[in-house]
Amino acid sequence: MGADTAIAPIFPNLLAFLLLLLRRRLLLLTLPVVGPSRLLIASSSLSSTPSVSKPWMDKLRVIQKLASERGSSARIFKAIADPPTTSLQRLKGLTTGGLPTFIDVGNSFGAPAIVEDNFIHQLVQNGKRVVMMGDDTWTQLFPNHFKKSYPYPSFNVKDLHTVDNGCIDHLLPTLYQEDWDVLIAHFLGVDHAGHIFGVDSSPMIEKLEQYNLVLEKVIEVLESQSGPGGLHENTLLLVMGDHGQTLHGDHGGGSPEEVETSIFAMNFKKPPFSIPPEFDTSSGGHNLDGKKMYISSIQQLDFAVTLSALVGIPFPFGSIGRVNTDLYALGSGTLNSEGTNLEKCQNQSELEQWKQNYVNVLCINSWQVKRYIDVYSASSLIGFSHEDLLQIADVYAQADKSWSNTTKKLFLHQNECSDSLLPALKMQIDLYVNFLTSVAELARSKWTEFNLKMMGTGFGIMLVSLLIHLLSIKWVAKQYGASFTCGDSGISLGLIVACFVVVIRASSFLSNSYILEEGKVANFLLATTGIFKLRYTILRKKMLLEAVVFLLLITFCRFTIEIGLSKQAVTSQFLNAYPSWIMSIVSQFPAWMYIAEVVPILVLILLSYLLYKTISSSYFVGIWKYMIMGTILSYMLIAVHWASESGTWSLALVSYGISRNCIPRMIYGIGLGQVSLLAFSQLFNKDKGLDHSKSLVVKTVGMLSALSSVVILLLGKQGPLVALASIIGGCCIMSLGNMEHEAKDSMSDPLAVDPLPVTQWNFLAACMFFCTGHWCAFDGLRYGAAFIGFDEFILIRQAILLTIDTFGFSHILPIFALPFLVARQNMLSQKQFILMRLSQVYLMYGLITATTVTVTMLCVTIHRRHLMVWGLFAPKFVFDVVGLILTDVLICLASLFYFGRVEKDVQQNPSTEK
Amino acid sequence: MNYTKTFLSVVCPWNRDSAPSPTYKTKSTFLDPPWQPPMNQSTAHTPRGDRLIDREIKRSSNRKNMKANATTSSVKFSAEPEPEAEAEVSPSSPSISALEALSVHLISGLGLGLALLLANNVYSVNLVSHPSLTLLLISVIECPIVILLYSRHRKNREECSYLKAVGRGLVGLPVGALVNSLGAIALGAPVGTQYFLTTIYWSLMMSLFTIVPAVSVFGSSWKDWQRIFAQTNCRPIGSLDFMICLPAHGAIIGAWLGAWPMPLDWERPWQEWPICVSYGAMAGYLVAIVVSFSLILVRASFQHDKRD
Repeated sequence: MGADTAIAPIFPNLLAFLLLLLRRRLLLLTLPVVGPSRLLIASSSLSSTPSVSKPWMDKLRVIQKLASERGSSARIFKAIADPPTTSLQRLKGLTTGGLPTFIDVGNSFGAPAIVEDNFIHQLVQNGKRVVMMGDDTWTQLFPNHFKKSYPYPSFNVKDLHTVDNGCIDHLLPTLYQEDWDVLIAHFLGVDHAGHIFGVDSSPMIEKLEQYNLVLEKVIEVLESQSGPGGLHENTLLLVMGDHGQTLHGDHGGGSPEEVETSIFAMNFKKPPFSIPPEFDTSSGGHNLDGKKMYISSIQQLDFAVTLSALVGIPFPFGSIGRVNTDLYALGSGTLNSEGTNLEKCQNQSELEQWKQNYVNVLCINSWQVKRYIDVYSASSLIGFSHEDLLQIADVYAQADKSWSNTTKKLFLHQNECSDSLLPALKMQIDLYVNFLTSVAELARSKWTEFNLKMMGTGFGIMLVSLLIHLLSIKWVAKQYGASFTCGDSGISLGLIVACFVVVIRASSFLSNSYILEEGKVANFLLATTGIFKLRYTILRKKMLLEAVVFLLLITFCRFTIEIGLSKQAVTSQFLNAYPSWIMSIVSQFPAWMYIAEVVPILVLILLSYLLYKTISSSYFVGIWKYMIMGTILSYMLIAVHWASESGTWSLALVSYGISRNCIPRMIYGIGLGQVSLLAFSQLFNKDKGLDHSKSLVVKTVGMLSALSSVVILLLGKQGPLVALASIIGGCCIMSLGNMEHEAKDSMSDPLAVDPLPVTQWNFLAACMFFCTGHWCAFDGLRYGAAFIGFDEFILIRQAILLTIDTFGFSHILPIFALPFLVARQNMLSQKQFILMRLSQVYLMYGLITATTVTVTMLCVTIHRRHLMVWGLFAPKFVFDVVGLILTDVLICLASLFYFGRVEKDVQQNPSTEK
Repeated sequence: MNYTKTFLSVVCPWNRDSAPSPTYKTKSTFLDPPWQPPMNQSTAHTPRGDRLIDREIKRSSNRKNMKANATTSSVKFSAEPEPEAEAEVSPSSPSISALEALSVHLISGLGLGLALLLANNVYSVNLVSHPSLTLLLISVIECPIVILLYSRHRKNREECSYLKAVGRGLVGLPVGALVNSLGAIALGAPVGTQYFLTTIYWSLMMSLFTIVPAVSVFGSSWKDWQRIFAQTNCRPIGSLDFMICLPAHGAIIGAWLGAWPMPLDWERPWQEWPICVSYGAMAGYLVAIVVSFSLILVRASFQHDKRD
């Protein structure tokens, strides 16, 4: 839905020759050596330019030659991009005219098609034929837009030549063909050469020289056919880089080297006039020979609208750019001047005509931006502030009012030739430019600014929260005379290992690679603690089996995590070929499918058998027994649901349409009923005074069974397996922790709390997050889970289901299961003692989570201009913060539930902010 | 002259299988500065003397009610209070002098270096370009060195012949490789046909660093294994324990640390499994060898001072 603007087409043919990474410096770096007066100009326009001549500078000589010889028909622009300076983001910015926003986070890894309105889309809508060659990111962004495309794989950074040679092979023949209107050639060699060898290397220079040759040939062809009636009579050539690069060849950040690129625009007709000085934003530069050369500045934001105006198509809907004066002026050479009396005042009218046109374009441009801003702030939750909007509306109203005056004047003087129009037009242009500039500034400040003060405050709050956690752990311990340490030997080994592992995991988040492989890192550390425990068991000659089972479980987790990570990789652009062979394996072995259907149901039956065995023990009496029977019933219902869904078994009893939504809703109902029953009994049931640890176990089992059915249902067929794995893992951690405790019981004070099992519990929970096929990105959410049992979308309900699915096994169940760590350890101890331990365990769990989140915050702060900030760090940060808030809320709930009226441990809920 | 003889006897242990232990003399001459008169037999302490002194220190510092037998005393480890931790030290337990320790360490370390050098110069492969071949070469060269060297210092010399020790070392090699590879897979080593051979060779090398020396020396004595691999709070008693325990732990910790660069996106060839893990293991092994030897030296000089 483009802004329905109608602009006179200026360039029927447009040749966007996208030379990736064409550095501005490569063209202009000879400036500072010329002379003192020129040095001033150079230093003002190129502040980041080193004054030393480097071999890679000055290699695209043809551009400089043209820019200095052709005067106003060939220009070099300094194009300023918005960070992040990655190809995908930049291409999006170039074609949509918008700023990179948080919305891009959703599809960070892949390069999905651009769904927003964009320049290419408008071209196609308006019947232009677009031909693309080079980087295959274009075909991913615009899958159905190109009439012809010659994509080449872009991900192999080490390959300097495939893309470029492919481009060159197709470029020159295409130039002689008539069947296109817009040609895009995207070269990648310079980018890759920079990544691999650095800017200061011979491959880089070779590449640049190659480009120089290609450019020369292209210009030669275009020149030869640019005569009247020729094929390229109205062709505009644009040579541009989508982003710069640092001296090491990296890009993605916001440093001047990365942000500043250049655009070379060339029109093969000489414009009849030169731009009046008051509009001319360019600063004159001089090349090596001392000839004058025009250098203007253009925001990359403005690129989409300016080209739209030049080609004569509607502006992209979401663009906030402004039609650039200089680039637009380049088109004036082909301006169709119909309907005006040129004969009267030849000297003035062309300029005036151009100005009128420009004002027209700016008027539509402003109207389009204003409409976008209105729509945006009406639909967005966190739009612009009221004052900002008012101010913008004010500026726009002023410009609009003046516009109606100007048009009146224009109509009055249509057939005359007078000088009075020019100042009015100039004022009008100024007003529109003012409006558009202020909108762009506002948008930029709202969308890409990092408030360091607020970030610091948030970080400080997290630090304070960590301190409070630590102090309260100590305080609780002191309250009951316990000490953290083991005997009088100082700090126990378990504590050291736990701290070490937690710190290592936390600090691993400082690198993006480890965030990407977070599941593997958590698993690695969990396995390390497992091996550490195995050593203990060897020493004690006890529970060797548990330790080995635990290690085997970790190995199992590890393979599941790898499968999950490969799923993540599938969505990325690197491994698009991946799912095909998985599918082929599945299709080749139908037995495999059958097993995949049967195993979850069998495991589900096993789980219900375990539950049944648990309640048949003497602890569970009365209401608890019936409640857990309810869970077993839900398990059976889940099994029936899956069986009916798969269609492998034809179930004659249930008609498909009813059961599909009916059974899940029944399960939700049972789960909700169980949880409310538990809360109810907690409120009104008196403590019967029986052994507290037993009642704690009963409560925990009740709570877990109530929650588990819903979680398993939402997680789908992997649910039962993961549940079984977490039960086994939990049991192993518990008994291994007990062994430690029993050993200590004999000598040191029995109050010591070992942090290692709590740490392992936390890590196991983290592993479970990745085992269940999630990862910290918005495309890692399993949206399908939100629609189990419901067809229509209601925000809150579906959000709750999605949260349960995402955090079920990693946050909800582990936190409610934590009392197991305490309850089994000392069955005969008094109540106060168990509660003290429980609160300590909960505090430790909170501390571990908070530590991780704190370091994640620090990392995001450090890397806020990193290449992957929207792709990796921001989602990770969001997931962590949501996880932390959920953890703290759940800890509060759990402590309310388990502590009852005896004591309410006050948990702090650290608010986190950016 | 004396030195060369000892060196020969170290390298060719079968020459002196029945000899009592002439190394004590050489040890004293080796350790004492040349201007001092050679120590006579009475002051040169026996390994049992070592151990008794150790025990005395411990006993006086720790548990006073502990019963001590004059000949075969049980040792209670100080910080670890568990009852099973009493290690029986049999009278025929192996003893080792600083010089022997040095030569064992030196030869195994040099063997490693030789293997790397051979791979680089003769076969012109290295760990980065041909990881499996290089690891195989290291294993092949280290295997006889480690088994033959450590079998010389086997425990229970009366019951266990040299050949038997070598035999159990050879049996321990694949078993240790299995244990190591399982551990690596639990920690996240990649599995797949293209990694199969390299994982095998890597685990053979790790087995030579960790399990094989212990198997050659201790056989299947559970208590010794416990002492070597599971004890953390008390230091090993004899020099031989140092020599087995420290390099094994060094190799494992080095490999653990070496795994950390693997996920980084530097796209260097050495980040592949198991190249940096092997580098880490070798580095850890070599560092631990140095530490082990210096600890033995310190201990020896400490006891030397104490005797004076």
